[in-house]
Amino acid sequence: MTTETKQGGPRAATPCLAGLCAGLMRRDLAPGAPWLSTLPVLLGAVLALLLASGMALAVFYDPRAAQASLRFIALEVPAGWIMRGYHVTGAGLGFVLLYVHLFRMLLTRGYRGPAAAGWMLWVTLLAALLLAGWLGFALNGGLGGYWSLIDAISASLALSGPAGGVAMWFFGGAPGDGTLARLLVFHAVLGVAAAGLLWLACAATRQARPAPAGRMVAFWPVYAAQAFAALALLALVFALLMCFAPHWGQGAQSQLPASSLAVPAAVSYPWYLTPLAGLTALFPGAGGHALAVIAAAAALYALPWLDRSGGGAPGGLYRALTWLLGLDVLGLGLSAVCPLAAGLQILLFVWFFIHFLVLTPAVTAMEAA
Amino acid sequence: MMRHRFLAPLLAAGLLACGAARAENTLTPLHFQSDGWRGSIDKAAAQRGFAVYQSVCASCHGMSGLHYRDLEGIGLTPEQVAGIAASIKLADGSAATPDSLFKPPGAVNMGGAVPPDLGAIVAQRPGGTRYVYEFLTGFGPAPDGMTLLPGHFYNRAFPGGQVSMPNVLRDNAVTYADGTKASAAQEAADVAEFLTWSSDPDLAERHIIGLRTVIFFALLAMVALAAKRRIWREEG
Ligand code: HEC
Repeated sequence: MTTETKQGGPRAATPCLAGLCAGLMRRDLAPGAPWLSTLPVLLGAVLALLLASGMALAVFYDPRAAQASLRFIALEVPAGWIMRGYHVTGAGLGFVLLYVHLFRMLLTRGYRGPAAAGWMLWVTLLAALLLAGWLGFALNGGLGGYWSLIDAISASLALSGPAGGVAMWFFGGAPGDGTLARLLVFHAVLGVAAAGLLWLACAATRQARPAPAGRMVAFWPVYAAQAFAALALLALVFALLMCFAPHWGQGAQSQLPASSLAVPAAVSYPWYLTPLAGLTALFPGAGGHALAVIAAAAALYALPWLDRSGGGAPGGLYRALTWLLGLDVLGLGLSAVCPLAAGLQILLFVWFFIHFLVLTPAVTAMEAA
Repeated sequence: MMRHRFLAPLLAAGLLACGAARAENTLTPLHFQSDGWRGSIDKAAAQRGFAVYQSVCASCHGMSGLHYRDLEGIGLTPEQVAGIAASIKLADGSAATPDSLFKPPGAVNMGGAVPPDLGAIVAQRPGGTRYVYEFLTGFGPAPDGMTLLPGHFYNRAFPGGQVSMPNVLRDNAVTYADGTKASAAQEAADVAEFLTWSSDPDLAERHIIGLRTVIFFALLAMVALAAKRRIWREEG
């Protein structure tokens, strides 16, 4: 075989590979993007790991004996503890990446104008991953997840009308032997959907990029080198957490067996669900919870139109308020871990909506003027 | 005494007949080989701890998920495991095999309190290994002014101070085959190490793999950062 056929063969056979290579070498990217712009790539890597380890776990997981089968995986399945570690640590770190990326989009106003479609996809991704994360919390079979699920099912089955119908379809009726088997399917479907959503969100953001102007660079090797270094750092943090803090951020009840007799005073959530838990805590019942979630999602979806600034760069006041919003969300999370004074809890909740519905339009209009 | 029913066959099976190695002193000051980020299971202690579990605790507490063959994880040979299993009578009267799950205890209910499964107890209690040790050595006379509920015992480590499990560890409650002196505190430390293993059998492997992986990725990250800086200087 000559070198010629060796080189020509695969390229002719795989034109899309050649197209991909050409795309990676095209000089259409502005130089000097910050490290944080690698977050979507890192999230993609973590999602891929979650899907792969999730498939491996699903082979051995038994929804009818959730915690016992997870113990079986840890004790009996070769490298089972590694699969669990990938999945658990991947979920925790994935949410770190997602929250930081969303915060950065808020801070840099990465949701405006043509990027609005991308922003809405990111918000949808957040919703999908939060739901998948909550289902994972329930599938873990720990005491907290069990009671969170029981509460959610019994509250939502009390709903009437179409909302009750949706809840009935989702949970498949009163909690029983088949509930977790059903939710496992949703968990997996949401995981795959999240990968698709991430891809769409990145594609939409790419579409919204300003036309190339001035000196441009190609992905290869400039941003490939950056992404590779970021991935190596992520892997370092991943290994540290997985091997030396395997229960990090999972909530105090995740190790306790689910039991219908031991009713915890309060469910302790994994850290990434705490802001959501804090946001919904003020409204009892499934209807109230759903309302709070829908209102928060609506505020996030509407953000591109709530921002009245036109094209200008974000001003100092807007940035300060965004940092305050970050603290507000942290506070909401904290309120789900240790109960705060009722007044403070209400303030945190109300502030979240004031930020989007009142302050954002007012401050952006003021700073644009 | 019923508790010793298991002990003779265990010893006969040659359990712990691995020489006269004496326990390293883990009691003063109290420390466990499994402590910390480089911790691993002290297999000799875990084997002694299994003897304590089997002869003292197993009549009340189960160990869900564990098979007798899993004891190879604390350094027992397949022959020793087979001997241990053969000495255990299952509920249907047949002898256990290495592939049997640990024999569950009969239904025990002490004044409404059911003994918890000990399989993952170290992961389930704040304080882990140390808490189990302190719980097992925490029995004593109730302080003045404390009225014990009926069927309860004072324990200074247990939240609330009153527990329905009696103090079960005494000096020489077991005889250790490796010659270690079986003080009550030694038994408590050994069974705590055994329960640490059963909660987290991959502890040692995880720490070793973790250390190697962290070193590898730290080096890789340094190289990748250097490469990135260089490429950006030339192209960026
Ligand atoms: C006579 C039966 C009996 C024996 C023997 C026994 N236990 Fe218990 N144990 C109990 C009961 C009952 C409880 C539940 C106590 C409660 O919740 O008040 C308990 C609880 C415990 C707990 C949980 C404490 C907590 O924080 O909730 C641990 C750990 C424990 N036992 C370890 C042991 C060990 C180790 C041994 C063997 C050395 C042992 N037990 C022997 C009956 C027993």
